[in-house]
Amino acid sequence: MLDIIFAELVVAAIITFFVREKLAAIIAFFISLLPLLALLDWASNYGFNLINLGIENHMKIYLAGVTLHLAITPLSWFFALMILPLFPVIMLYSYSFFKENDGFFALMLLSLLATFGILLSRDMLSLFLFWEMMSWSSFLLVYRSKDKNAIMSYLIFSVFAAFAILFGIIILWHENSSLLLSDILNISGKLGFVAIASIITGFAVKAVIMPLHAWAPFVYSKCDEPFVAFLSGGLSKLGYYGIFLFLFSLKGVDILQNYMTNVSWNYLLAVFGALSAFFATLIAILQDDLRKLLAYSSIGQLGYIAIGFGIGTPLAITGALFQAFNHAFFKAVLFLAAGIVAYRTGKWKISELGGLAYKMPFTFMATLFAIFALAAIPITSGFASKWLLYEAAIQQKYVFIAPIMLIAGVGAFLYSFRILYGVFLGENRHDSVEEAPKSMIAALFILVLPLIIFVVFPGYMLDLMKPALEAAGIESIAHTKFAIETSLAKYNSIAVLITLMVAMIPALVIYKARKHRVTSFEDNYLAGEPYELHKPAMHAANNYYKPLKKVLLPYLEPGATYYFEKIYNGIKCVSNAVRRIYTGYVQDYAIYVVLFLLFVMGWLIWI
Amino acid sequence: MDMIGIAIKITILAAYAIIGTCTGLLFMGVGRKIVARVHNRVGPPFYQNFIDVAKLLSKKTNISHGWIFDLALLFSISGILLTLLFLPIGGVQLLSMDGDAFLVLYLLAIPSLGFALGAGASGNPNAGVGVMRALVMMLSYELPFVITLIALMIYYDTTSLATIVRMQSINGIKSWAITMPPFMIAAFAADMALQGMLMEQPFDIPVAPHEIASGPMVEFGGKYLGSLMLYKAIALVAETTLFVDLFLGGGVVAHGNFAFIINFIVWLALIFLLFVLSILIAASFPRFRIEQAFGFYWKYEAIIAAISLIWVYIMVIK
Amino acid sequence: MGLHNGDKMMRYEEWSKLARKASKRSLWMVHFCTGCGAIEMPPVMTSRYDMERFGIASMATPRQADVLLITGYLTVKTLRRVIQVYEQMQSPKYVIAFGSCTINGGMYWDSYNTIKHLEKYIPVDLYIAGCMPRPEGIINAFLELMKLIDEGKARGWERYQKYYDKYKENQRRVFNFEVKEEKEEKEQKREKNEEH
Repeated sequence: MLDIIFAELVVAAIITFFVREKLAAIIAFFISLLPLLALLDWASNYGFNLINLGIENHMKIYLAGVTLHLAITPLSWFFALMILPLFPVIMLYSYSFFKENDGFFALMLLSLLATFGILLSRDMLSLFLFWEMMSWSSFLLVYRSKDKNAIMSYLIFSVFAAFAILFGIIILWHENSSLLLSDILNISGKLGFVAIASIITGFAVKAVIMPLHAWAPFVYSKCDEPFVAFLSGGLSKLGYYGIFLFLFSLKGVDILQNYMTNVSWNYLLAVFGALSAFFATLIAILQDDLRKLLAYSSIGQLGYIAIGFGIGTPLAITGALFQAFNHAFFKAVLFLAAGIVAYRTGKWKISELGGLAYKMPFTFMATLFAIFALAAIPITSGFASKWLLYEAAIQQKYVFIAPIMLIAGVGAFLYSFRILYGVFLGENRHDSVEEAPKSMIAALFILVLPLIIFVVFPGYMLDLMKPALEAAGIESIAHTKFAIETSLAKYNSIAVLITLMVAMIPALVIYKARKHRVTSFEDNYLAGEPYELHKPAMHAANNYYKPLKKVLLPYLEPGATYYFEKIYNGIKCVSNAVRRIYTGYVQDYAIYVVLFLLFVMGWLIWI
Repeated sequence: MDMIGIAIKITILAAYAIIGTCTGLLFMGVGRKIVARVHNRVGPPFYQNFIDVAKLLSKKTNISHGWIFDLALLFSISGILLTLLFLPIGGVQLLSMDGDAFLVLYLLAIPSLGFALGAGASGNPNAGVGVMRALVMMLSYELPFVITLIALMIYYDTTSLATIVRMQSINGIKSWAITMPPFMIAAFAADMALQGMLMEQPFDIPVAPHEIASGPMVEFGGKYLGSLMLYKAIALVAETTLFVDLFLGGGVVAHGNFAFIINFIVWLALIFLLFVLSILIAASFPRFRIEQAFGFYWKYEAIIAAISLIWVYIMVIK
Repeated sequence: MGLHNGDKMMRYEEWSKLARKASKRSLWMVHFCTGCGAIEMPPVMTSRYDMERFGIASMATPRQADVLLITGYLTVKTLRRVIQVYEQMQSPKYVIAFGSCTINGGMYWDSYNTIKHLEKYIPVDLYIAGCMPRPEGIINAFLELMKLIDEGKARGWERYQKYYDKYKENQRRVFNFEVKEEKEEKEQKREKNEEH
């Protein structure tokens, strides 16, 4: 069955390259539903009860003399639930987004093929093969943006990631003389450590962990929003899938934990995650470009997942996977909403936008839900994931990581409000803006749905995660449908929700007891100045966090990009020096050959 | 699911909500009287804030700027009531078995979110800038506060406020957290953070009338302002109760038959003392600019809090 | 001005005695002081003649306030802002006018730029005679206003709603120096003269 899906995807990709954009969107939408439906069908064979399920539906593809092993595992099922729904939604959204078809849909279908392959691959060769396919199809999509910084940085980092992964894979293959993931039992000593470290570094490039995040702000801010929604919602999760695979899923990987020291090396991952959460949140607060703000916010929120993997306890891993699930959806909603704003108004900078909430109420509502989940307001599912991570850090007594995580959580409020106030609330500066096209709104609300469902049922999400965790040998934490219980405290989401509704009663009583009158925007307190006299600027969204900028900018200026640029310049200098060997004169080349022969003869004589 | 038990619990919660509101309004009135005496004048009667709330809620016209503006009223009162009910008050658990300190910390953010939305929807630039300052202030005071919170949590090995209160109430006053040297430093840092949380001088720049036309509340009037005053009253009680629960054992000194009344009185006295301390500091200080407040919290307060955290960490690791 | 005071006509008798008692003991004034009387307000607010003991506090915006104090002469320019502020307040609202300039023009009785009778433009509940009244006079006025509120006689906001058109006409006349109908009459007369 899987090969049929692969074949269909390739054919559809070829077809959508040649048709007009609306037809291409429709074809892409229906085809991209296929992998998801296939997985749901597979899971329903077991009644969605995937616990104690090993590798099923093992399929071998013979390709030029090598065998690729593909199979669906509980872990890939969980990650597929996160990533695959994004594709049909993005196709639905792109139905109205693009004015012409220049290969977007074909490349997205190829990316879907590659994603599906990565999630299903059971041996390292197919993993690498599909990873590379994902890299070049997304690179072509980045290339469409025609921005030099984005293209170059994405290319260089992708190639670096690919080499790092390949390096690790070759070492592991050499040690174990087999490419199957289930055969890797001998990871020990220095070689094993280097292999796993380089593989994780390679995956960490795509799952943006500082300091390997430098490509993300350029790429996220210059590409089309539907693609960026996939990049930040889906591709980063694939990076984390790889990290999870090589950190927890392999049988022999426990040997590494205490290599050379008493402290687990996972702690380093947690530290990088915490630093990326902290610094990225602070940088996001100071941004003016909406897309760059969302890019840095992505880096920050993804850092939480790294913290969870780094801490390594069952509580932490549960929280990390929950955070990954939430992030996929709310970040996709935010990027798609940014795309709607740009589609309707044509502006990127928050200082030029304003007052769109009453003109675009549905977009505003969807963004509001997504921001509630991002900022971890207790009545949303985003809070449950962050709560699990905080509990894990306190349980392990990681006193450096815990305050940084918490401050990054508070910092999320700041840039969330910047988005809400600068873009949606405040003074309306656009005359003729209407609501977004219906397909885009539908796409947004489909994505918001899981965030609402898991509000009240965090236990349901933990049930979904159980098969994946058990397959990796991690026990799950005590929970019921509504409440999660850890050794430190309990979180009962239904209690919060019911109390909120009951506490809303006095507020509603006060609200309804007295009538109120709605006034216009011009009837604001301006120290008595009539608005129509000078029409002053009323939108305070330019340079919004100026006091914070004044204090923080000196500390945030030397960022990772600065150091990467220094490395780049250094390599450029060295390459320039090497280039001078090729002078273009045949006489110089003749002298080189003569010198080389003299050297060889001299060496042979000496020996 | 016995109905009588649930009905009793709901009545107790409602009773505590009303007690919290009345206590808060009373404290605000007494606070004004104390400030007046510091200024060498007479000051309003101690029940002044009740009259203020009654006047505001009885206004004939109330002006709003749309449905997003009304969210401020709805979120603020429901959010702060929710927070109050998740704190152990005088040893009585209320709902705090179902949530912990992180939940309370994030629940305190719901009313701020409501005000931010309402202020943004009003369209007044003063409100926008005021909300910016309020959010930066929140970022500032959270750092020392969470550091001290983590110190407490790793010492007692729990994140539940109910457990922290219970473990501090074993020996009466002698086992309160504040009697231990690292927690004395932590309590000092947390008290400064409390000053920012209550938005009192020297940290009241987001809402000062002279600074920015009262910031986010610039377009609030009538019932909106009345609900804001109720929010301030309950927030006063909630935030000082949080501090008392963390460092002063929740006011629990007695166990036994009449313990409930004694603990309640001790809790009331403790939050009143905290409130008077904050009022006295407020009456004697001018206000910081927002970048000065940020620098104060992230440099000096954070170092003090970090000292206490490292001390506790070393104590726990041994 | 362009602001229509679209509140329903509310009858004073519906407002219960309790609400009046609450309003009387918690008057909040707008911190908007024009003219010479502004200097008499700080002693009233601070320790010497403490007004906070009556519950009176100063608020930053008219949305939050009940009492508007016109503390002296008003130029036409300031009158426009004062009317804007008055209309942004929420009823029930009161106006106290200080000094002789608001009663009959006072010292500036023959100026082209100030207004002579404040009652024509906004409804005044209480006048304080003097040029300027001392803080004791101001405190006395506050107590008098509280008594008037209690008796139900401080009904300026109702007057403003009832005679809204007349107030607006007065205001327009002083801002434009000519009402629109008079302007049209003058135009017609000029045309008739030209025809002859």
